[in-house]
Amino acid sequence: MHIPDGFLDLKTALTTAIASTGGLGYAVKEVRKKLGDKHIPLLGVTSAFIFAAQMLNFPVAGGTSGHFLGGALAAILLGPWASLLIMTVVLVIQCLGFADGGLTALGANVFNMGIIGGVFTYYFIFIPLKKALSKTKRGFLTASAIAAWASVFIASIICSLELAISGTSPLNLALPAMAGVHALIGIGEAIVTVVVLAIVIQIRPDLIGEYSESEEET
Amino acid sequence: MRHSFLDKYSNLNSFIHELDPRVKIITTLFFLIMVMITSPVFLWAFLIYFLIELIILIISKIPILFILKRFLMVIPFILFIVIFAPFISKNGYAGSYNLGILRNLGGGFYNINSVLVIMNVVLKSFLSIIALILLSSTSPFSQLLLGFRKLKVPSILTNIASFMYRYVFVIVDEVQRMIRARNARNYRGKWIWQSKVVGSIIANLFLRSYERGERVYLAMLSRGYNGDLILNYKYKMRWIEWLYLIIFFVILTLIRLFIG
Repeated sequence: MHIPDGFLDLKTALTTAIASTGGLGYAVKEVRKKLGDKHIPLLGVTSAFIFAAQMLNFPVAGGTSGHFLGGALAAILLGPWASLLIMTVVLVIQCLGFADGGLTALGANVFNMGIIGGVFTYYFIFIPLKKALSKTKRGFLTASAIAAWASVFIASIICSLELAISGTSPLNLALPAMAGVHALIGIGEAIVTVVVLAIVIQIRPDLIGEYSESEEET
Repeated sequence: MRHSFLDKYSNLNSFIHELDPRVKIITTLFFLIMVMITSPVFLWAFLIYFLIELIILIISKIPILFILKRFLMVIPFILFIVIFAPFISKNGYAGSYNLGILRNLGGGFYNINSVLVIMNVVLKSFLSIIALILLSSTSPFSQLLLGFRKLKVPSILTNIASFMYRYVFVIVDEVQRMIRARNARNYRGKWIWQSKVVGSIIANLFLRSYERGERVYLAMLSRGYNGDLILNYKYKMRWIEWLYLIIFFVILTLIRLFIG
């Protein structure tokens, strides 16, 4: 889903860049307030983790595979704003260091995977679901599974919308194709996210801010 | 350890390598935007863009093969566009608004407009990849990040990025060892429920990385770390940098005025 340079036109690139810059500005303030500059080494190493995790392919069906994105996982583990910073840094390094995803498309990529796939899914899907479902480990994991699936699915829809608005691909065909493929990839993402969270809850429950003490007792 | 560094050639010696990274960042961004807003019918403009890149490429002594290899990464995206291009309606033009309904599914031929869309994407992504590689292969990554910081990118972002770049190879090594261990134990992932294995690898990786991060943080704290990295920025804006910047801007603006 990393859009390369040359696939977006000026208005799309500019709009998404402005939206992403706004989100990032808020994230920088929020993270500075909550974690402070001192936690930078931790955030840096966690970004490296997301980068490495994205190299892992999971099987989808009969030998085809999708790769892990980690937007929802990062948001649940580290909080939405810290995860936006991390996803941005990962995208910048992939763009500058490995030519994966474009520089002029960076705004769009941050928007799709950081803001939509992270912050938006966190506040509008994960938190409401978590509140609605029972306050148990099972409820927590169900909410994260749906959030993980939705983060991939919605991000892919936004991605094909951006390509269509840029005139690079026709909306009526590319959108169902993208969304269909990513609905499947999203299942893999959900399985991986749930397994990761279940293991982390077992070993270091203190790392997940959203998984509160009360849930542990029930 | 099989990593592909993009700043592999960043310690070569050339005029381009000696320029202040800030100049390279600004010119690259300007170049990419110019490429983005040039309509694909102006082939001459793209040829000149390519020549400019070729000149910088030759001055900076970066092997061309290296760039071609990188271009392979964009191919899946281009395929995606090529598959859907025939269904783009005839009355829009490439880069224009196009939300029209399916008109020529029956015909299924590539009309002139879909050819333009494909050309648009192929030309632009090719030129942009070269520009990006030229940027990152002509300055060491840490100096490039400092350049971004001098251009008023928040220090928290550049600091996270420089930590990440330092540790990414350690963590990638770790993940490659885990993949090797998994494959050695007869893993053949074929179906989606087998994704669980990938989940446990990622969980392991997360805990290891997070704990490594905590250790790094404590080690740095005990050595007097106060939240900022003090790195030496080696470059400054000399007259030659200003000259390069001005020439670059003038040439690109002229192309835009007379050809694009």
